[in-house]
Amino acid sequence: MKRFAMKKFMLTCWIEFLLLVRNFFGFFFGLIFPLMMLILFGTIFGNSPIAPGSELRMMDLSIPGYSVMVMGVAGLMSFPLTLAECKEKKIYKRFDATPVGKKHMILAQVTVNLLLTALGIAILLCAGEFLYQVQLQGSIFAIVTAGLLSIAAMFSMGFFFTSVGKDAKLTHLLCYLFYFIMLFLSGATMPAMLFPESVRKISKLLPMTYAVDLMQGIFSGDSLGMHGKELLVLGILTVSFFALGALLYTRRDWT
Amino acid sequence: MKNHTDVLIRKNAMSQIIVQVEHLNLSYKNVRAVQDVSFAIKSGEVLAVIGSNGSGKTSTIECVEGLRKPDRGSVLVFGKEPRLHRKDIYRKIGVQLQETEYPAKIRVEELCRLFASFYERPADWEHLLPQLNLEEKKRRTVNKLSGGEKQRLSVLLALMGRPKLLILDELTTGLDPEVRQNMWSTFRAVRENGVSILLVSHYLDEVEALADKILYLEKGRQQFFGSKQEFRQWTKGQIPPDQWQEDLPLEKLYLQIVPKTESITMEGIL
Repeated sequence: MKRFAMKKFMLTCWIEFLLLVRNFFGFFFGLIFPLMMLILFGTIFGNSPIAPGSELRMMDLSIPGYSVMVMGVAGLMSFPLTLAECKEKKIYKRFDATPVGKKHMILAQVTVNLLLTALGIAILLCAGEFLYQVQLQGSIFAIVTAGLLSIAAMFSMGFFFTSVGKDAKLTHLLCYLFYFIMLFLSGATMPAMLFPESVRKISKLLPMTYAVDLMQGIFSGDSLGMHGKELLVLGILTVSFFALGALLYTRRDWT
Repeated sequence: MKNHTDVLIRKNAMSQIIVQVEHLNLSYKNVRAVQDVSFAIKSGEVLAVIGSNGSGKTSTIECVEGLRKPDRGSVLVFGKEPRLHRKDIYRKIGVQLQETEYPAKIRVEELCRLFASFYERPADWEHLLPQLNLEEKKRRTVNKLSGGEKQRLSVLLALMGRPKLLILDELTTGLDPEVRQNMWSTFRAVRENGVSILLVSHYLDEVEALADKILYLEKGRQQFFGSKQEFRQWTKGQIPPDQWQEDLPLEKLYLQIVPKTESITMEGIL
């Protein structure tokens, strides 16, 4: 019975993966675009120390930033846009009229987007190591914990946007708007220390900034304890967005 | 409520009733979509639900499918409440929804493989594809299929779990006459294998060809429930005697009892 359930889930994940590749958007922005950014910025700015005498180099900060970019693509774009489309076109309703129900499909969609995130980060790390000899100084446990919390925060935000958007268009708008604002102002694409003070103030209001700060700190060898503020902010945001989204869904008709 | 349900469960077991709906009521905000509707389907029977647009046909069958929660009344499918036993019930029923879309970029064969994986003993979909004229389309993505091909694919997916009850909501709407006739043949064959069918249709020729019983709804209210022959007799009391004939097709009788809509004039167009 368990084997049947597992086989069924694996096949659903495989088909969701094929759809993700065919839709191009998630595949390109999750796997190819961050790599292009890495090579582009690496070529333009080089991999010099971030400050005179510092052991940290530009690419040591860029890799965790681009990793958060990948998390954002999966959690704020690919997953919520798939969910919004399936909701609007009543695709989930059709699956509710089978023994598996929509939860099975949503779980497969989350799994595939998590795999996309993991694959995107793995490609970045391999390319960073190969091209720029990036120094990964944090402990694996701290990196995985910080990564999972950051991913949860991005996915919870995406989920919340799908519950707010009455239709797929509004969800698309919210996701695109917040993703691109956060992408450029959170320090994910370029280090926040390059921002003027006024932009830094705006940056502090964005959830992705805390994920970038956390990942950059942990990648460069900080302990989790040194990033209590970021962990707390991301934790509260994750719980709040999931709870609010779930609440809105219970009040809306999915069918 | 519980006692009422228990009584229904006992009654069903005795008479092989596979769907029993009693005093069903459903509202959307301030609109009463279904009011006090009761009917039953026995094993091997075909029940057609007819009525004008917005008469509550789809709402009624979505309660049977467990996709909507009734405000009042009881629904039992194979002796169980569909909303509470969704998994069990969907092992025995196949559904073709009125409006269904699938992920645009999924291929026909992938969708079939996916749906087949949901059932422990799925139908041989590779055998069904040519029967539904979809063999040549199996590598095509769903968004490249025509309306009729999508409809046939929906039928294939509804048959995937070897259902004991098939629920078809506007099965042949939008299909050309030849394809409609083929569909009827398919469902006659399905029925001969003991499968019950709950069919929502606007086409009375289809009802005449396939159904044993009729449930007629208007404005959410049940107007009639009974056999086709009983429906003919019932219409006798609804229309002027000089317009009723024993051998009139159901469609003609239906057009005389159905509430008239305003005809479109050419004023303001020409």
